[in-house]
Amino acid sequence: MNMKKTLCLVFALVMTLSLSACGGGSTTGGSASSSDAGNAKYVFLEEDLGVETYAIGFRLGDEELAKTVSGAVKALVLNGKFDEIAAKYPDIKDYLCLKAEDIDQSDIPAQGSGDSNYTFKHGFDLSYPPYSYLKEDGTVGGFDVEVCQAACEYLGWKYEAVPLNWEAKDMELNAGSCDCIWSGFTKEGREDKYTWGITYSNNTQGILVAADSGIKTLADLSGKVVGVQIDTSAAEMLEDSQADLAKTFSELKTYETYTVAYNDLKAGAIDAIAIDMTSGAYLIADES
Amino acid sequence: MVLEMKGIKKSFGQLEVLRDISLQVSPGEVISIIGPSGSGKSTLLRCATFLERIDAGEISYLDVPAVTTNAQGTAEYVGNAELRKMKQNFGLVFQQFNLFPHYSVMKNITDAPLHVQKRSREEVFAEAEEILKKMDLTKRADAYPCQLSGGQQQRVAIARALALKPSILFFDEPTSALDPELTGEVLKVIRQLAEEKMTMVVVTHEMPFAKAVSNRVIFMDGGVIVEQGTPEQVFENPQQERTKQFLRNYQQ
Amino acid sequence: MSWATMLTTMGEGMLRTSAIFFLTVLFSMPLGMIVMLLRRSRFSVVRWIMKIYIAVMRGTPLMLQLLAWYFGPYYLFGMSIRGYRFTAIIIGFTMNYAAYFAEIYRGGIEAIPNGQYEAADVLGYNKVQTFFKIILPQVIKTILPAITNEVITLVKDTSLAFALAYNEMFALAKQIAASQTSFTPYVVAGVFYFIANYLVAFIMERIEKAFDYYQ
Repeated sequence: MNMKKTLCLVFALVMTLSLSACGGGSTTGGSASSSDAGNAKYVFLEEDLGVETYAIGFRLGDEELAKTVSGAVKALVLNGKFDEIAAKYPDIKDYLCLKAEDIDQSDIPAQGSGDSNYTFKHGFDLSYPPYSYLKEDGTVGGFDVEVCQAACEYLGWKYEAVPLNWEAKDMELNAGSCDCIWSGFTKEGREDKYTWGITYSNNTQGILVAADSGIKTLADLSGKVVGVQIDTSAAEMLEDSQADLAKTFSELKTYETYTVAYNDLKAGAIDAIAIDMTSGAYLIADES
Repeated sequence: MVLEMKGIKKSFGQLEVLRDISLQVSPGEVISIIGPSGSGKSTLLRCATFLERIDAGEISYLDVPAVTTNAQGTAEYVGNAELRKMKQNFGLVFQQFNLFPHYSVMKNITDAPLHVQKRSREEVFAEAEEILKKMDLTKRADAYPCQLSGGQQQRVAIARALALKPSILFFDEPTSALDPELTGEVLKVIRQLAEEKMTMVVVTHEMPFAKAVSNRVIFMDGGVIVEQGTPEQVFENPQQERTKQFLRNYQQ
Repeated sequence: MSWATMLTTMGEGMLRTSAIFFLTVLFSMPLGMIVMLLRRSRFSVVRWIMKIYIAVMRGTPLMLQLLAWYFGPYYLFGMSIRGYRFTAIIIGFTMNYAAYFAEIYRGGIEAIPNGQYEAADVLGYNKVQTFFKIILPQVIKTILPAITNEVITLVKDTSLAFALAYNEMFALAKQIAASQTSFTPYVVAGVFYFIANYLVAFIMERIEKAFDYYQ
């Protein structure tokens, strides 16, 4: 009897929590109108941390495969398919660096020239929107996924989605569970570890802060708590090229996902988030 | 002879517990074994019931040998299957009862006759009811051991041993774990069995009981039989100094 | 994302989580019994092997073991591991939980007083009868609370399957949370784990009650 009562209480509590969380997450209209219109609640600092490029990573030595897939992507740029997909992702459109007029015409395979029995295994992180993520309808999607699917279609290959545990991505690639890592995958710092395919994005790493926090420059971050997601380019930069900056923070908090970091920022538990501009824009989309 | 033990030797490591002990039990005999703790009397019972393996000596039940001594002077047991058959000759009542806690009184008594001796259900249950009646436990047939008093539990343990129709019953200090007011009911049952000419060997500290019930009393000390005889001989007129001393200490 | 889509998507994950859970319980409980018997073997070599096995299983993180079971065949023997993912997860969980169950069984067996074996021996029960009729029912009663704990831990441990990128429920919750920038999927996951564990506790309590007729 006692057990039952406790259960009911806990259940009610959990339900209330989940409903309120749901409200915060999905009723974007309501929260936007309550905040001062026009002024975003969260902004990027004007100074950035640096630029990173996204490319397709293949197993070391898979030159042939890298060339074929890169060639197929070039073909997509030339026939307009690439821009068509990019148009669906306004947050990242500005950072894409493949323009039809700049494409060198070498090594572009003919349409349908691939082996129709071949299955290309696309390895990616399923929690990295907008490049690769679980869509509204519960299916796998994202910019990188769509481009990869289009490239396979162009070549006549079969496409297979291989969601990865990001920590185990190298083991999966080397063991042959997937043929490439293509998921907002930063080339900087990994130049020697993979055979790289085409570079398709220049993404800037920035610092996201609350608009009313008073933090205006990187120097203002001195003594502040900054959050970052584990194994991302922003995290690597803060360990590497921006290590001196990171030393001025009172703490650099590492999160498993940016979602949790963002909630900490909202709650005022941290002062800033180091994140690439596209992911950051996606993160704060519900607040502007 | 129901039981014949000859030249039994048993050591635990360096410690010699039984040194050349011999014991014969005739049908209908009731023997009490007395002696100070550590004298080896419990070990003797455990050897007789094959719970401990003897180092040297001979054991036979109803003139069928179970253990013999080979040319090297070490004990040799018959095969496992034969030994298990031998175990049907005797029953043992433990100091701590050792009832099966997950079985009801009735199942404690009937399970071995049904599944070890593979006798018919009707026969086993009819006999079990008979035994329970004799033990004054008819009303507790469906109870579980944890619901019974110590005295009742020990009577169930005796019933369990009797249900296998043994030729001889061993008791290892059957009242030592009981509160003093409960020993009487257990001793009464043993006395009743004695009157029915059940062959029994009882290791006990209850001197008045040993005196009243047994045909023969054995006094053990230091792993040997120091003295044996009728209760009158041992209790009234002990010959050995150690016996006298033990009885004197006991009376104090 | 609507509630309906979220629940359908996570529902699939729950099925995968349940598959890990039930298969692990199904295989690890009997395997634990075998491990326990070998751990008590007469041969010291066998005893030592089992001791080392149990020490490794209990002394290293389950996530590491899962990675080893999945990638091991490729890195050690160059075998293809295509289609082996789910099997590796079940092997990893089963081997790990069998070690824990074996130790629980051993504790239960060793808690049975020697007098029970002696009484059974004197009454003429053979070894098999003694184990299954006298010892095992008493062991089960003593170990039930420990088993409940272990099974509840297993429910929560299923989320470690994501180490092998197996999209069980918690992995899906993380992915939906990332794409929706919302905590709701985590709460749904929490409710699921809570209900699942409540069911486990409820069933185990029933079983414990069934053994309550004696002490």
